[in-house]
Amino acid sequence: MSATLYEKYGGFGSISRVVMSFYDRLLDSDEVGPYFDDIDMKRLIDHQTKFVASLLGGPADFSDDRLEQAHRHLQIDGADFDAMKQILSDTLADFGFEDADRETVLGAIEARRSKIVAGA
Amino acid sequence: MSIEAINEQLLRAIGAGVAILDPDELSFRFYNQTFSDWFETAAPGAAFAAVFPDLDRTAVIAALDGSGRFVAESSFRRKRRTLVIALTFTRTDAGVVLLECQNITRMRELETMIESYSSMVERNTRELQREKERVEKLLLNIMPRSVYEEYKTFGTVTPQSYEPVSVLTLDFVDFDETAREVGPAVMVSEMNDIYAAFDRIGEQFGCERIKTVGDSYVAISGLPEPMDDHAESVANAALRFVRYLQRRNDSHPHSWKCRIGLASGSVIGSVVGIQKYVYDVFGPAVNLASRLRDHAEPMQIIACDLAIASSDRDLLIEDLGDAELMGFGRRRLQRVEGAPSITR
Repeated sequence: MSATLYEKYGGFGSISRVVMSFYDRLLDSDEVGPYFDDIDMKRLIDHQTKFVASLLGGPADFSDDRLEQAHRHLQIDGADFDAMKQILSDTLADFGFEDADRETVLGAIEARRSKIVAGA
Repeated sequence: MSIEAINEQLLRAIGAGVAILDPDELSFRFYNQTFSDWFETAAPGAAFAAVFPDLDRTAVIAALDGSGRFVAESSFRRKRRTLVIALTFTRTDAGVVLLECQNITRMRELETMIESYSSMVERNTRELQREKERVEKLLLNIMPRSVYEEYKTFGTVTPQSYEPVSVLTLDFVDFDETAREVGPAVMVSEMNDIYAAFDRIGEQFGCERIKTVGDSYVAISGLPEPMDDHAESVANAALRFVRYLQRRNDSHPHSWKCRIGLASGSVIGSVVGIQKYVYDVFGPAVNLASRLRDHAEPMQIIACDLAIASSDRDLLIEDLGDAELMGFGRRRLQRVEGAPSITR
């Protein structure tokens, strides 16, 4: 069995820093930050820990249904989805993810666009 | 610059929030920039409740009068982020109350993340455990536990000779014809039913099914743990197999007649194959039991040199004289029957 990206980049010890940084950048972003104005910190961190772990093949099973349920009421548009992708891409680059691996992760997010973007 | 001025500069400059409160009223005498960044309602002379509306001032004073310390947390939203500030009130010798504030937001965020991660890992561990138990159950179906333990520990199984053991082999008379008549679905369901009953009976008498190949059923007693009465074990199981089929035939639309051969001797047991492995037994006792089975009439049990203790009153052994067995020469055959007490 080939190693997952989660294992390749150091497991929870390293990925936790990626998640924390991604969380900070999303909250600080003027574009996508407002979506999190009324979201509870615990819920958001729990969601992101599991979501990033599942994107990287870590110990999470994040179903598309759950993803859709978490985003349905937020009415996220395509441009904001792209902005979020860009933030994740920058975060991964800053944490030393190779280009090909970044593409894999972004591809996995792109595949879920219709679950996150309203009316996509 | 005076010492007081230096002290004040220091308090203003540090990253922690610091405030000095009146010892009786707990009103604010001094606070630094960090403090006012966090608690925007702070003002010179401000009342305690104006800055900490959620804290009970009398409780704080009571704690300060008692142990001299009071610890609390304050949590609030600041631009979509939940800030968590740890507060420590201390009554000082200088006759004022010192309030130190640490930003523990990141600590709380990390705790939440660890909590979330642990829940994922614990769930995965539970799933893995369940999966492991499923695999173990499957493997225990195809090999004895002690062999499975060896396989699990070393990744391989050393072929082992077992002696003495007794082997039971059984097949069905006119199996192919009956199978054709009833069709594959009914045939599989019938075999499933019958073999499951044989397994239960075998277990009751201490013999374990090793394999089935089509209509041939092989069980052994004395393996992997030695058994003194291995011969009685297979003979008793064989009698109950026949009795079970007789009763089943009385009440089922399809009738099955078996032939059984019993032999004692040595066998070698091992896991065979690498990708598709099965536990199998080989050896003279297995072959002899098959030859004997071929000599049996429908619903008959034929044995050879079976060391049955005369104390087993359930079993009647009838001597059938010598017969020529392929590969074994002339051997004395016996027919095993049940005493009236169990054939009724």
